[in-house]
Amino acid sequence: MRLMAPNRLLMILGCSLLPLVLLALMMGPVFISPASLLRALFEAMGLKAAAGGASQDGLILFSIRFPRVLLAGLVGVCLAVCGTAMQGLFRNPLADPSLIGVSSGASAGASLMIVMGGGALLQGGQFAGLSVVALGAFGGGFLAVILVYRLATSETGTSVATMLLAGIAISALAGALNSLLSFIADDEMLRRISLWQMGSLDAANWPRVWIAAGAVALVMFLLPREGAALNAFLLGESEARHLGIAVDVVKRRLILMTAMAIGISVAVAGTISFVGLIVPHIIRLLIGPDHRYLIPASALAGAMLLIVADAFARVVVAPAELPAGILTALLGTPFFLSLLAQKRRVEEN
Amino acid sequence: MSLSANNLSLTLSNTPLLNAINLDVLPGKISTVLGPNGAGKTSLLRVLVGELAPDTGSVTLNGCALQDCPAIQRAKTLAVLPQHSLLNFPFTAAEVVMLGRTPHASGIAHDREIVAQALQAVDGDYLAGRIYTQLSGGEKQRVHLARVLAQIWESSIEGDRYLVLDEPTSSFDLAHQHLTLEVVRNLAEKGVGVLMVIHDLNLAARCSDHMFLMQCGSMVVSGTPQEVLQRDIISSVFQVEATIGVHPRSGTPLVIT
Repeated sequence: MRLMAPNRLLMILGCSLLPLVLLALMMGPVFISPASLLRALFEAMGLKAAAGGASQDGLILFSIRFPRVLLAGLVGVCLAVCGTAMQGLFRNPLADPSLIGVSSGASAGASLMIVMGGGALLQGGQFAGLSVVALGAFGGGFLAVILVYRLATSETGTSVATMLLAGIAISALAGALNSLLSFIADDEMLRRISLWQMGSLDAANWPRVWIAAGAVALVMFLLPREGAALNAFLLGESEARHLGIAVDVVKRRLILMTAMAIGISVAVAGTISFVGLIVPHIIRLLIGPDHRYLIPASALAGAMLLIVADAFARVVVAPAELPAGILTALLGTPFFLSLLAQKRRVEEN
Repeated sequence: MSLSANNLSLTLSNTPLLNAINLDVLPGKISTVLGPNGAGKTSLLRVLVGELAPDTGSVTLNGCALQDCPAIQRAKTLAVLPQHSLLNFPFTAAEVVMLGRTPHASGIAHDREIVAQALQAVDGDYLAGRIYTQLSGGEKQRVHLARVLAQIWESSIEGDRYLVLDEPTSSFDLAHQHLTLEVVRNLAEKGVGVLMVIHDLNLAARCSDHMFLMQCGSMVVSGTPQEVLQRDIISSVFQVEATIGVHPRSGTPLVIT
């Protein structure tokens, strides 16, 4: 018994993404009315309204809101889609990208930069719109995954079970490094470390949007081609091989893709937990585990969840901000629990 | 053409599992592998389908060395039904069967038709829309049987087709055991070469064209059911005293223990 037809869900998600983006653009410490949102959009498209010059709303929209909402959406896509890929690869609906060490590696990398980098580096050090901390996060995350992958690969192929264990080991190691760095950090650094680990999109700017867009473009170009392979993977590796899937090639591709995409999303937005685990799960409860639909639907739902969470993060304690990572869990969990309950009711009848 | 093992030997962690095994699975024929537990039946199957690499010897599929055979060509000509499945995601039964069409690019409408026919062949049309994870053990196994049937449903330009089954009847009731044999028989009549591991000697006797009897990693004897199922062979391999009769309807050997 399925709760929804896949095409219907894709249509619903697709149709609600744009209104949601527009709504998110209006929300923030400064509320932008629909009328001035439209005016600013028209101005941007060259259809200058009667009043000359860029309005204040236009300025807020294009230098703050737009990059932020777009970044939220793009990071949401990365997290949700990579979560889907990992759950398929590990044949485990409880898997998520952090399982292969990427999140803890990134945390350790970021902490290292915060503690070792010192004040000067933190203020001025920028590269392509990314702070030194973000670069440290990307490096740390990527390094951890490569290590995990190497540990699990022998000449007979990559063992998913060994990868799971290696991921736990490397995560523990990175966690210990992280604790050590927190221990030697001063109060200011400690606050930065813990805020960074909660994940937030407040550092959004256009260069970060372009970097995240690159990651999403690559993932959404490559991953949907592996939909049939991921479906076969769920039967087991031997069965996938008997169905003509080049198992080791697919595995390597998925791991590298996840390391790259999650590394980038962690670098631009910190570790935002929950999206990668729960979004694919929710979609699977609704439409079943067929990856040909699961991947695009998770991408849309991941983008929407993070856009909504970030919009709330901006307004609930305005003019201050909550880390978006807290809100993804606060918003997603009740929805997920209600779906579980509904599913149980359907099965009992 | 055939699926052939030539002088296979296999040792895993210093335990010899297979010793100089030769075997041919011929198109249109049903072959069964028999033997006590630990005789190496499953190891032989795993080497034959490429899951394990032999230490010496080789496996050829339609004359092409198995490890050099392109994955898609292999998938279109060789289907494998394992003893257990790891699948624990809530596909519908029809979706599981549809996975068997993965190597084919024959179009969704055509594939749906084949899936429906394959499910019907295993008495599973009523399962189509049900969630796989909620089925009973026997129903799950039938869904997987339908999946491998769908994989090699139509003759392929890549060559003769083969189906390898590891204890396909282990979780079936009597009716479905016989249904499985009938399915396999129909498949052989369409030109598919079938190799099964099976424990029930009488079931094997009723369906086999050729039998391979294994003991301790070696092939003890191979031949027709009449040649293999003999009193002294059974007592030496299985350590059981048996009387060999004749099945009153099929005329095949009947092993009474």
